[in-house]
Amino acid sequence: MIFIMAWRNIWRNKMRSLVIILSIAIGLFAGIAVLALYKGMMKSRVRAVIDAEVGHLQLHDRHFKKDFEPAFVITGGVAVLKSITAMAGVKSAAPRSITNGMLATTTGSAGVQINGIVPHLEYATSQLKNKIIEGKPFDTAKQNEVMIGKKLATKMKVKTRSKLVLTFTDTSGNIVSAAFKVAAIYQSDNAPLDERNVYVTMTDLNALLSIGNAFHEIAVLLNNDNEVKNMYQQLQNKFPVCQVESWQEISPETDLLVKTTDQYSYIIMVIIMFALAFGIINTMLMAILERTREIGMMMALGTSKIKIFNLVLLETFFLTLAGTPAGLLVGWLLTGYYTKHGLDLSGMGRDMMSSFGFNTMIYPEFPWDKLTGILLIVFCTAILSCLFPAIKALQLKPVDALRN
Amino acid sequence: MNTVIDAHNISKVYNPTTIPVYAVNNVHLHLQKGEFTALVGPSGSGKTTLLNMIGGLDRPDEGNIFINGIDITKLSANELISFRLQNIGFVFQSFNLIPVLTAKENVEFIMQLQKASKQQREERVKTLFAQIGLQDKLNERPSRLSGGQQQRVAVARALASRPQFVLADEPTANLDTKSAFNLLDIMAKLNMEENITFLFSTHDQRVIDRARRVITLVDGRIVQDTAEVSTQHEEAAAVKT
Ligand SMILES: Nc1ncnc2c1ncn2[C@@H]1O[C@H](COP(=O)(O)OP(=O)(O)OP(=O)(O)O)[C@@H](O)[C@H]1O
Ligand SMILES: [Mg+2]
Repeated sequence: MIFIMAWRNIWRNKMRSLVIILSIAIGLFAGIAVLALYKGMMKSRVRAVIDAEVGHLQLHDRHFKKDFEPAFVITGGVAVLKSITAMAGVKSAAPRSITNGMLATTTGSAGVQINGIVPHLEYATSQLKNKIIEGKPFDTAKQNEVMIGKKLATKMKVKTRSKLVLTFTDTSGNIVSAAFKVAAIYQSDNAPLDERNVYVTMTDLNALLSIGNAFHEIAVLLNNDNEVKNMYQQLQNKFPVCQVESWQEISPETDLLVKTTDQYSYIIMVIIMFALAFGIINTMLMAILERTREIGMMMALGTSKIKIFNLVLLETFFLTLAGTPAGLLVGWLLTGYYTKHGLDLSGMGRDMMSSFGFNTMIYPEFPWDKLTGILLIVFCTAILSCLFPAIKALQLKPVDALRN
Repeated sequence: MNTVIDAHNISKVYNPTTIPVYAVNNVHLHLQKGEFTALVGPSGSGKTTLLNMIGGLDRPDEGNIFINGIDITKLSANELISFRLQNIGFVFQSFNLIPVLTAKENVEFIMQLQKASKQQREERVKTLFAQIGLQDKLNERPSRLSGGQQQRVAVARALASRPQFVLADEPTANLDTKSAFNLLDIMAKLNMEENITFLFSTHDQRVIDRARRVITLVDGRIVQDTAEVSTQHEEAAAVKT
């Protein structure tokens, strides 16, 4: 009978019940939306790190990364590259010769990392060609071309076809300077990286560094993300003189980001749930105040406190039950839509997003893995927040409640 | 005859620290099984307070109340709740019925609290609704019943638990004359035919006239009790024959 009463009580004040049902639905939806957005953002961030920045794995000479000393080239680099490219599971591999130096124009200068690349390998491994927003990719017929990031170009007031001078030390410690012409300006989702990295052809850079056909870095892109651990082992065994690193090691901040997102999203969930809890406490309290006499009368007749408590609890439970499918459905439909079409966050400013390394186009993903967690949180919030009104109901004294 | 209510020397004081109000002042009250008693008195004379204490809804500051030999002033709050359920039927002035339950469900509700079986409930509901003459209103919600009909359902509900006695605080106060008489007829009939004990408070002279015993309260004290008079009459009559 308490069951029936709880159910019918919900329909007594339809407006109020609707408010609770809606807030539960909205709370649930908001939770799903946040998690879906985070999941999408993290996925795309990880994708960007792997596909456009570092690749799955990188190899260097064991001493190279300490000071980026150009003398520490990968021993037998060409052979190593060839053998890696031939390994099963490897999609592509790109060699890079790297040195730190200075970029100077007539108006100023900036410290940069100069990457000497083999264009077609680089395009396949880090999408460099796709990042070009102005100008043309490297022309094999031309010499001393450079590609620089948009952020740096803006800062240095450089346009395509501008001339600039790169200065660095070669393997023997001599200072080398050379004039380069800007072939293209590129832009990735990661502005800080764009500001630091400039690209020239390996042919040009190696000649200036006088390291022949040697290089310092091999970036490896695999067919499958799950193969990273396995390949890491294989490469380590195969090339013991090299330092092998996974993308998690090279970009630990991304790894950390992915790992802390869960915590962040739960914190946001908790904040949303607080709002929901206040809504429920308020509304249920009102529902109880309105029924003071009725509850007093029920107690006078001999209804136990547990029954009264259950009544309030059940009402909240029913409302939650009604709100849940609505929230789930809207969450599912909306994430489904945006998973397909993408959610354009350029309203937040492309610069802002890219300074954190995020694309403005987010493809949210329904957080199936967290669904039970979210549902549990919503139900617990609903039940917990009706405890206070329920206890208030129990504290009613029939004599006072019944007195006109 | 067996005593159902035996209240000894009970008092209730409101605001004992500021301006004390003796809502009930040193009252003795004995009620036998099958009595049909009206509690009368001006407004504020303590009728509700006295009924609440006898009904186990409120505690006296002094004195003891025995219901069928059990001192309810010694029961804990939770014991009182189940004591009320098993022993006392209540009819209030208003807000008697649970609005979301039908007339029948309102009556069944009490029996369900007592864990009566479905069959027991059905049978009892049938009998009771026949007695109050509302067989055709079983499935109506209270909002669709007249005030008088609601009070009749309340009487049925009060009886559903087969209590020791029924307490009714101004059950006719919100009713028109016809409904009031109708309710009273039903109560009187149940009293006569089923020996149900009623104790009800009222302002209403028409109701008072129907009572077989009238207890008058003024300022929390019993100033008149017709039982004593009638016992004297009976004794006198007995002596004569
Ligand atoms: N909760 C309370 N606090 C303070 N005083 C109270 C309280 N309840 C009742 N009283 C006082 O106790 C006295 C008796 O009240 P009670 O309600 O028992 O009278 P009554 O005979 O039922 O009156 P009525 O005919 O108006 O219903 C009154 O003076 C009332 O003001
Ligand atoms: Mg009163």
